[in-house]
Amino acid sequence: MRLKLIAPLMAIVLIAVALPVFAHHSFSAQYDANKPITLKGVVTRFEWTNPHARIFIDVTDENGKVTSWNLELGSPNILARAGWTRKALAVGDKVAVEGALAKDGSKMANARTVTLASGKTVFAGSSGGDTPTAAPPPAR
Amino acid sequence: MRNFQTRGLVLLTFVVFGVISLAALSLAQGGNAAAPAVGGGGRGRAAVPTGPTPRTPDGKPDLSGLWNGGGSGGNIASALPRGETLPLLPSAAKLLASRQAKDDPESNCLPAGVPRGAPYPWRWVTAPGYVYFLFEGNIHSYRQIFTDGRKHPADPDPTWYGHSIGSWDGDTFVIDTVGYNDKFWFDFVGTPHTEQLHTIERFTRTNLGTLVNEVTIDDPGAFSKPFKVTFTARLAPKGDELMEYICQENNPDVPHLVGPAVAP
Repeated sequence: MRLKLIAPLMAIVLIAVALPVFAHHSFSAQYDANKPITLKGVVTRFEWTNPHARIFIDVTDENGKVTSWNLELGSPNILARAGWTRKALAVGDKVAVEGALAKDGSKMANARTVTLASGKTVFAGSSGGDTPTAAPPPAR
Repeated sequence: MRNFQTRGLVLLTFVVFGVISLAALSLAQGGNAAAPAVGGGGRGRAAVPTGPTPRTPDGKPDLSGLWNGGGSGGNIASALPRGETLPLLPSAAKLLASRQAKDDPESNCLPAGVPRGAPYPWRWVTAPGYVYFLFEGNIHSYRQIFTDGRKHPADPDPTWYGHSIGSWDGDTFVIDTVGYNDKFWFDFVGTPHTEQLHTIERFTRTNLGTLVNEVTIDDPGAFSKPFKVTFTARLAPKGDELMEYICQENNPDVPHLVGPAVAP
């Protein structure tokens, strides 16, 4: 009986934490929430700019081919108010980014979480909804 | 004991569901609560301050402060009274249906107009003869509201924020605005208006942390009758300040927005 009740409760909690943050453009006009992707690569540029912070990473596939990706985060203001800083990432950092692919087929994605080289997973201020367990990155 | 635990869980489920429903409703109404504005799931943010409505020495409510929300967002129709629908004229309905996401002024770093909000704080500033709204988002712009008793000009040039005059009606500050252009959208879905738009915003600070904005929208060019939408702004946590937000700095998204205008 108790288990039956706990399951929907957990479902509700998960739905709650997945509520989106408004961006200046519609998430669903640019990204497909049904096309999740995880990209592992090396940071080549970290733009702490409005209206969105962006991480550019180079991803090397099993054949050695390198593809550059442009990953959208929340704005610096949204990120800063929640604990990020412009020094959270640096060129050369190895990261894994989980997010949603662009609808138009470009090498762009909306980041939902970023897993740092330390193994710590941090949230990305996504307008498509954040991940409940992710925290802001540690200061550096 | 088992029964007691079950009842406790049922009660907890209802409470959690209620809180979440309210949060979801606030989001649907477009930045109607502080939650969507803070971003990142609101981590590390203090709650909305509580207390009685502050007053200025003349006894009027003091509406100044740093606010989150209080305007439309995803779809302005969600802020209508329950059961009502937008009284769109056929021409406006056709325009609404044709709008594409890439053309949203908000996405193009152009002003949100009135009464659309942005997911960033804004500051109400009261000065002799004027009230100013300073927007962090909404492209870092401002609204100027005259409180020196002047009237609207006879034939104002159409602008993004129009010509605004403000006055008190009891404890409610009323902003009457005409002279809008037809370029801004009311929301992400692209609800349109024309240069005939006339808005009456009634701002009431019901307590320290709450500013209710009841807006009458009258536009015989787009709607068959005037209608009212209501939004609630929440006072930003103590210590929060406006931050710089230059939307034009780095906005590569527009060419990647595909399809019809949609809510976030």
